[in-house]
Amino acid sequence: MIIRLAWRNIWRNKMRSMVIIASVTAGLFAGMSIMSLYKGMMKSRIRTVIDTETGHIQLHAKGFMGDQDPKRYVQEDGNKIIKLLKDKSIRAIAQRTITAGMVSTPNGSSGVSIIGISPEEEMRVSGLGKKMRQGKMTWPSTTRGMLMGKKLAKKLKLTVGEKVVITMTDTADNLISAAFRIQGIYQSANAPLDEVNVYVSRKELQEMLGLENQVHEIAIVLHDDRLLDSTTQWLAMEFPTLAVEPWKALSPETSLMAETVDTLSYIILVIILVALSFGIMNTMMMSILERRHEIGMMMALGMGRLPLLVLIMTETFFLTIAGIPIALVTGRTAIQYYAKKGMDLSGMGREMMESFGFETMIYPDFPSDKIAFIIALVFATALVSSVVPILKSLSMNPVSALQK
Amino acid sequence: MENTVIDAHNISKTYDPTGIPVPAIRNVHLHIAKGEFVALVGPSGSGKTTLLNMIGGLDHPDSGNIIVNGTDITALRSADLVKFRLHNIGFVFQAFNLIPVLTASENAEFIMLLQKEKKAKRAERINGLFKQVGLLDKKNTRPAQLSGGQQQRVAVVRALASKPQFVLADEPTANLDSAAAFNLLDIMAALNREENMTFIFSTHDQRVIERAKRVITLVDGQIVSDSTKLPL
Repeated sequence: MIIRLAWRNIWRNKMRSMVIIASVTAGLFAGMSIMSLYKGMMKSRIRTVIDTETGHIQLHAKGFMGDQDPKRYVQEDGNKIIKLLKDKSIRAIAQRTITAGMVSTPNGSSGVSIIGISPEEEMRVSGLGKKMRQGKMTWPSTTRGMLMGKKLAKKLKLTVGEKVVITMTDTADNLISAAFRIQGIYQSANAPLDEVNVYVSRKELQEMLGLENQVHEIAIVLHDDRLLDSTTQWLAMEFPTLAVEPWKALSPETSLMAETVDTLSYIILVIILVALSFGIMNTMMMSILERRHEIGMMMALGMGRLPLLVLIMTETFFLTIAGIPIALVTGRTAIQYYAKKGMDLSGMGREMMESFGFETMIYPDFPSDKIAFIIALVFATALVSSVVPILKSLSMNPVSALQK
Repeated sequence: MENTVIDAHNISKTYDPTGIPVPAIRNVHLHIAKGEFVALVGPSGSGKTTLLNMIGGLDHPDSGNIIVNGTDITALRSADLVKFRLHNIGFVFQAFNLIPVLTASENAEFIMLLQKEKKAKRAERINGLFKQVGLLDKKNTRPAQLSGGQQQRVAVVRALASKPQFVLADEPTANLDSAAAFNLLDIMAALNREENMTFIFSTHDQRVIERAKRVITLVDGQIVSDSTKLPL
């Protein structure tokens, strides 16, 4: 009876209840949309990190990531590495020779990370070829070609075909310089990296550094993201002398950003629900004051505090949770539409987004994993919203409530 | 006395809403036995409703005590008083006070649900009472579709559904036309006669006063007369 009475009570003033239900629906819709957008952005960012920057896992000589000293190359038996990396969980590998250096032109100079690559391997691991905006990724073995990021090229006012001089220290600590020709200009989703990473032939860089076939980095891409932890553990056991690091360790800012954005989306949802709770509370207070006489009568007849509390709380819950299914259905439908079509946010600041390493085309992802939490939050909102109306109704004196 | 339902000893109540004490009830002694049909009469402000509220455990006297069916209700804690009202006292209000979103039978059943009575028992009792008041065909109707007289009869069913020791009715006929008022009085008189149900009314209505077996007159919070009519 209490449930029946509560349900009918919320429909006494249909317009008022509909407004509140619509507000909850709109609030939840907005909250879920923001969560979906953030989730989509972070998923895209993580995808970019894995697919185009770090791969899933990287192997380095211990200490190399700290100082990028070219003498700290991977000293493992090459055959062992190749054999092990044929494991079924691994989709592709790219071996890189890396050193820090300086690119100089008549227009200026800039500190860079010079990465020696094999174009074929890199195509499979980081998809560098797809990022080419000018020129080609492959270069003749006889010509010293270089791939430069668009941002750095712009900064140094360079175009394809122009020459630059790179300066670096070899493994014998000699300062060496060599001229390279811009073979291509690439643009990734991570503008800061585009400004520091330049790519040259691995073989040429090894020769310049005084290395034979040694590399400083082995980037690994797995068939499935879910294999990350197990494969990292397995590689760490197989190569105890190497630093085996998953993408989260290689790009801690991305991992931290994912956590922060996750928390931020919860905070936004909580703010929306707190704002809604005032509306719900107000509606319930109006409803109770309008029914003051009736509540006084029920108390006079012998309705105790507990059933009255349950009645008011149930009414508040109905009013609050009625919006959940509508919000879930409309939210999911809208998000699924944009998950397929994508949301182009380039108009909101392409450069800003790229400077943070985000793609401007976002594919929102419905936060299915958070639905239980969202519903729990809505229930908590109903609970909080019902406190004042409950206190108000419990404080009523039946004699004065029954007076006209 | 063995069949005593209400025994009020020297009760007084003063209201002080504006800082000026206004005595509502002054040293009232009242004894009501089982099966009485009592009218509390008096001019407006004489203390009828206050006395009724105190007998019904809705208001506390400043002094004195009220024994209802052997329980001193002035000594009960608030929660116990609510339970006491639920199981011992039926109320009929001037404005009917039915819950508009419930049907007539749901309104009547409401109090039995609070008493945690079983469904079958509730249905049996409610059907019987609706039959007695002549509203069996209206029991699934909402109050808005009932006339004032019908609504007040539903309120009587609600008051009796809990099998109370007595029914307190505050101006029950004030909002009814003559036909409806006589019909209601007939029903309550029949319940008094057939089920020995005790009714205590506060009223200005001469029709009620004429039908009452006992008439208690209050003036300025004091009982100035208490007369029992002899059966014809």
